Amino acid sequence: MGLRRRLGSLAESAPVAVFPVVGAGARADVARLRLRPEVELVDSPRHADVLLVAGEFVPGEVPGLAQVHDQLAPPRGTVRWGERLDGLDPSTPTIGTQDEVVAAIGSVASGLYRDPSISESPLLPDVDPVDWRGVGPYGHGGTGMTGGTPYGRPMVERAPDRDGLELDQLPVTVGPWIGSLPPGMTIHMKLQGDIIQEAEVLELVAGPYCPDLFTLALSSPQRVEDMELARASHHLVWLGEALRVHGLPALGLRALRLSQKLGPDSARSVRRLIQTVRRSGIFQLALRGVGTLPDSGLDGLGPVSRAHGREDDARLDEPAYRELGFTTITHDGGDAAARWRQRLGEIDQSLDLAGRAGALTAFGAGVVESPRGRIEPEGAQPSSLLKGRLAVWLTGLEWGDAVTTIWSLDLDPITYLPVETGARQ
Amino acid sequence: MLSLGAALAVFLAATLALGVVRWVGDALNPMMSTAPERVPYHGGMPPEFHAWNRYHVRWYAMALLFLAFDMEMVFMYPWAVVFVREGLISLVEMLMFILILVVGIVYTWREKGFEWA
Repeated sequence: MGLRRRLGSLAESAPVAVFPVVGAGARADVARLRLRPEVELVDSPRHADVLLVAGEFVPGEVPGLAQVHDQLAPPRGTVRWGERLDGLDPSTPTIGTQDEVVAAIGSVASGLYRDPSISESPLLPDVDPVDWRGVGPYGHGGTGMTGGTPYGRPMVERAPDRDGLELDQLPVTVGPWIGSLPPGMTIHMKLQGDIIQEAEVLELVAGPYCPDLFTLALSSPQRVEDMELARASHHLVWLGEALRVHGLPALGLRALRLSQKLGPDSARSVRRLIQTVRRSGIFQLALRGVGTLPDSGLDGLGPVSRAHGREDDARLDEPAYRELGFTTITHDGGDAAARWRQRLGEIDQSLDLAGRAGALTAFGAGVVESPRGRIEPEGAQPSSLLKGRLAVWLTGLEWGDAVTTIWSLDLDPITYLPVETGARQ
Repeated sequence: MLSLGAALAVFLAATLALGVVRWVGDALNPMMSTAPERVPYHGGMPPEFHAWNRYHVRWYAMALLFLAFDMEMVFMYPWAVVFVREGLISLVEMLMFILILVVGIVYTWREKGFEWA
């Protein structure tokens, strides 16, 4: 007991390993939690001591949440950030601010390190999907090398691969909460090695209506300065997450730090960051020539359209933006590198516009240019339009290129519901 | 040189140490994992199939590349020893040899053998 207590007190002095499960409206908040030295957000629940359930969820997601909960190695605890949801322990307190959530995580972790017996129990029953132990001549649940069901799961079927060989094809569902994909995105794939032979993007997360400045601008004019700062902040949070996924976490933290205290006077720091990203070699090593999209059907997709050389921007029709001399930035190529360059350019442009906007207001009726593209009342979200075509674009890619393609599109799977009808399901 | 007895003693001590580490680990954390805790994690959905599967690693492009550079080195070391004595003729011979190897490297390039990721 003495040794355990000493090890526990040593563990308390280290950042707490936290796995975040992100629901509607919590993505940016959770991303910025990475800036806190008291916690370390990890990419898999296997490495975590505390499960952070952040944002809003619909009841259909609870079985997935229970699966994630049970994947944390005991001793484990849960902290909830935001609304209550069905299925998890109702005694877990609901908390609001970032400081409160960090304090709660620290408190839960300290309790676990001091007394592991308070670990939360598994939520799912301890049974394999089918009975397999001792079944068949070798006890692996069937007959023959590939006929069994070891650990209750059948072996994969064979199918022709790209070289014309008959090899195994592994059906696997990735997501909705895995570090390499945007939170909420679930892809069902058939893999041969790391090549995606078939893909289907699942409609799993039907998020509730989370109004932001751009959806508010659908019904009432908003200040251009506020909207452009929100646009730059959105792109910086995206940049922070995308850099982390692409192996540049320190640069990602810089982007998140800037997104937190962004003002028109941040232009110099932002330009320095953009320059460092450009010099990091990520464009040449990971982005160039990856995820090139076809020319058709890209209308209203904001930076994705503009990275295809199209001057597609609802701000062009707004008198306030015309007064500021607004012109669209465009890039050619339509690959992941062009989309990254497009967003980096638009961060700089938004800060410039915010600095000159004064009291100007824009939008208020009809169409609004959000950071992800054009939104309209009762219209589909840009992420929803992209999601419909994503399966075709991912087919044939290696997994790494698929991840790069997905991040370059800046998808938000949680806002798939139409803007005005995004009521809780 | 280590005697057989000493080697055996080292082996037994290492085995014992491993057993002690396992025992200490189990004593510190006696909790057993359940079936849902044991499955591989890929985002919150349970796996449908067993992960064991056979796929094409495409070793041939990598093997060709290795052979091209390996053979180059194998020939270059003795060639460097006699180069001064043999003169221009040995230089021409080496260039011919490298040209043949370059064909293999170009073929590997065409087969996308340099795309490591």
